[in-house]
Amino acid sequence: MLFKVFPENALEILYDVLAPYPLVGPQAKGKDREDKDIFVFDYINSFAELRLDFPTTIHSVKKFLLPSRENLCTFNLFDGDWEKYVDFNIYKPHVFFGLHPCDINALNKLDKVLTGPVYPDPFYSSKRKNMFIIGVNCNPQSWCFCKSMGADTVYSGFDMFLTDLGDKYFVEILSATAYDILTQLPIADPSEADHRRFIELMDERNRNFVCQVDSSDLTKILDLEFQSPVWQEWGDRCMSCGSCASVCPTCYCYGVKEYVDLDLTTATKQRQLYSCNLIDFAMVAGGHNFRPDSPSRLKYRYYHKHRGFQEAYEEALCVGCGRCGQACLADITVPDVIDSVRRQKVPK
Amino acid sequence: MQKIRTYLGIEIKYPKTAFFELSSCEGCQLQILNKEATLLNFLDLVEIVNFREVMSNRSNDYEIAFVEGSVTRADEVTQLLEIRQQAKTLVALGSCACFGGVNQLKNRFQNLEWVKKEVYGNHPIETQEVRPLSDFVTVDFSIYGCPVKKEEVEEIVTNLVLGKSIEHPRYPVCMECTANGNICLFNLGEPCLGPVTRAGCDAWCPNNRMGCWGCRGPADDANLRQLQKIMDDHNIPRQAMFDRLECFGGFTSAMKEMDR
Amino acid sequence: MKRLDFVDVLSADRSSARESDLNNFEYSYKAEITSVYRLTDTEKLYQIRIVDKVQRHHFAFRPGQFVMLELPGIGEGPFSISSSPSRHGDLELCVRAVGNLTNFLSRVARGTVVGISGPFGTSFPVEEMENSDVLLIAGGLGIVPLRAPLFCVLENRSRYNQVDIIYGARNPSEMLFTYQYQMWRQFDINLEIIVDQADATWQGPVGLITEVLKKRIKTAGNDLSSNTYAIVCGPPVMFHFVCDMLINARLPMQKIFVSLERRMHCGRGKCCRCNIGATYTCLSGPVFDYWSVLNMKEAI
Repeated sequence: MLFKVFPENALEILYDVLAPYPLVGPQAKGKDREDKDIFVFDYINSFAELRLDFPTTIHSVKKFLLPSRENLCTFNLFDGDWEKYVDFNIYKPHVFFGLHPCDINALNKLDKVLTGPVYPDPFYSSKRKNMFIIGVNCNPQSWCFCKSMGADTVYSGFDMFLTDLGDKYFVEILSATAYDILTQLPIADPSEADHRRFIELMDERNRNFVCQVDSSDLTKILDLEFQSPVWQEWGDRCMSCGSCASVCPTCYCYGVKEYVDLDLTTATKQRQLYSCNLIDFAMVAGGHNFRPDSPSRLKYRYYHKHRGFQEAYEEALCVGCGRCGQACLADITVPDVIDSVRRQKVPK
Repeated sequence: MQKIRTYLGIEIKYPKTAFFELSSCEGCQLQILNKEATLLNFLDLVEIVNFREVMSNRSNDYEIAFVEGSVTRADEVTQLLEIRQQAKTLVALGSCACFGGVNQLKNRFQNLEWVKKEVYGNHPIETQEVRPLSDFVTVDFSIYGCPVKKEEVEEIVTNLVLGKSIEHPRYPVCMECTANGNICLFNLGEPCLGPVTRAGCDAWCPNNRMGCWGCRGPADDANLRQLQKIMDDHNIPRQAMFDRLECFGGFTSAMKEMDR
Repeated sequence: MKRLDFVDVLSADRSSARESDLNNFEYSYKAEITSVYRLTDTEKLYQIRIVDKVQRHHFAFRPGQFVMLELPGIGEGPFSISSSPSRHGDLELCVRAVGNLTNFLSRVARGTVVGISGPFGTSFPVEEMENSDVLLIAGGLGIVPLRAPLFCVLENRSRYNQVDIIYGARNPSEMLFTYQYQMWRQFDINLEIIVDQADATWQGPVGLITEVLKKRIKTAGNDLSSNTYAIVCGPPVMFHFVCDMLINARLPMQKIFVSLERRMHCGRGKCCRCNIGATYTCLSGPVFDYWSVLNMKEAI
């Protein structure tokens, strides 16, 4: 990997170079009850809107790759016959400016399912291949358990990655396009002092991870504790609302529904991101529901993420960003749930 | 003369359709007429024979009846029974028809005579406890909302005409709200019934930073016990929550299990 | 200035098979419903022919696989192919009108063009079963996915030893494919039918499918350990009882095959709706051996 540094104030040049493209980045979208900024990923229209100092965002960048609703095809119907038209719904490369390691890792995990060798999903793949990603290092929050999930650092899946050294940015360069773009900035090779500063900062960041999940032997423990009463307790709390899946950067489950337009001559096939916690997730035609109660659905969610995916890809379908726990009004968090399965005790 | 139309080779008739209102603001019917871009297509979907807000013709020959409003007077019971007699499909349009709606707030008062006096003074009218349509007749299906959402009505009527099954989302508003990328209103300090209310409105109010008032009634398996805890945790007074739950009448039976 | 290039995914991976894969994700064959037979009050058998001659000829599937059938604007769903693999893209699907898509399907006429994609999923290893006894055990609609492997057996009858069909239906009026029973028997297939509730016309046995199976196991000396394969398909509750009996009769679990039913929205290992644990019924199933079933929580 190539490393360079550029002065703090050159960040705006980088922004200007990329500004002609649709550019998505973290921006403040409101204040919470404690008057702190709430951040989201959205289209950035001026450099001032781009807030690389953001702690986390309430939603991931998933919506730009897997929109909550996306048309898979449209139909024209005529005289008893029909034609189908498919559009992947992407027309321009998009710049993603300011993704934390967890969010880039989340994309890498989604790639395994959605761009993998078996029926790759062109709707996702086409958007994924048209992403230019600038990663940025983070300050761990009290709920971040990415380190336990092995998602606190990222080695691939981005074009360049920035770390703020104070007066300059340390940049890891992973693609030729990124290198070409950086040549338009006053870049320099990092000095020995820059190396030291970078390593110090990384050490400091590592020390700041406070939230942990013990995921050792988790696949086995989940199997052993399949009948555990803790699932009932968590299920009783669960609102079956799907908020956790909506904010999750790695949840990709969906449902497909078709709509006929009012004039009855055109129709649309649409997919809607779904959540395995929603009551009808596993309901079949005729009404039989394979997971009719919220404990079984919540349990399934953990099984898929921490057992099944682990089995298939040797990693969990979770990057430890903690957004689900932050979004859950019933305070169901991954560390608490996994801990309770291990200890057979649910925190009040 | 309407031309014959088909869908996948099946002839699709133009069902004769009538709109009626009982005690209501007629806002749901107005809502149907609100979207000019698709209005003509919508009106072409069925043959409207009775719709007081748009036409003066009246006919009692119809297959589908949309009934807005709740039942508050004896003559409305008679009217509703007549509609049921005629209509092959009776649709409850809007929260008043489905649950009693805002009207049913008066049921909170134990002394109806006092209510009448307060509202109508010395010009009393005949009025009784507010009830939804389903207390008197079989309702074939409901369109929830106060007001109903035009897009949803269009989809439902299209499905009805085609003979597709009509299904409401079973999950709560939170799903649509988070999918829209909204900031949770509890985070902003505002109470919201999104976690328990049936979705389908695309989180209309929360999209505009207004907490949900539950006009669409409870989602399948709504977890009201947990809602109570959430409200407590966010220091929202119980009464504020009950005011919302009671507002449209959808939660009346679900609330019986909650502690006051 | 260096520009970011737009990547067209379909041409991006021209060198690999990916191009056609990506392009095929939403691809469906146009297929015409050539005839519709009413089997019972709720089930109909649809003969569906892929319109394009070349596509029809190249359409190859294995017994137990399913297709996604789409009615534009109405919906799409998985249906087990119940015709013989030797007939390629001349498919037969047996469908119970039970939901939105299937109810609409029951209204369309001969000549309607539908979309077919697939075939998807795993299949019954009919070649491996050659030179063995074959037990086909079906409850209710479970007879539908068994019909394709049955055709394979019928077409190569001499390669199989004793073949039994044990079929349990709720009542005689719900029995499927009655017009073919005679033909099956002519192929020296031992067909045993049992119903839950008899009607006036019913002469056969009344009771549970396990009673018939018990008899069959008894004639085998309570030992199925050598040279027998079983295919089991039916409602979830039936699996437990039937598979337990087979295991008790020492039939090895990797010789018991089941076909599972789940909700599917894509058929392509994406939507997760059919997941059991994180096993996709559409990719790793619908046909599983019993060992795999035991290793999946809540599979049956």
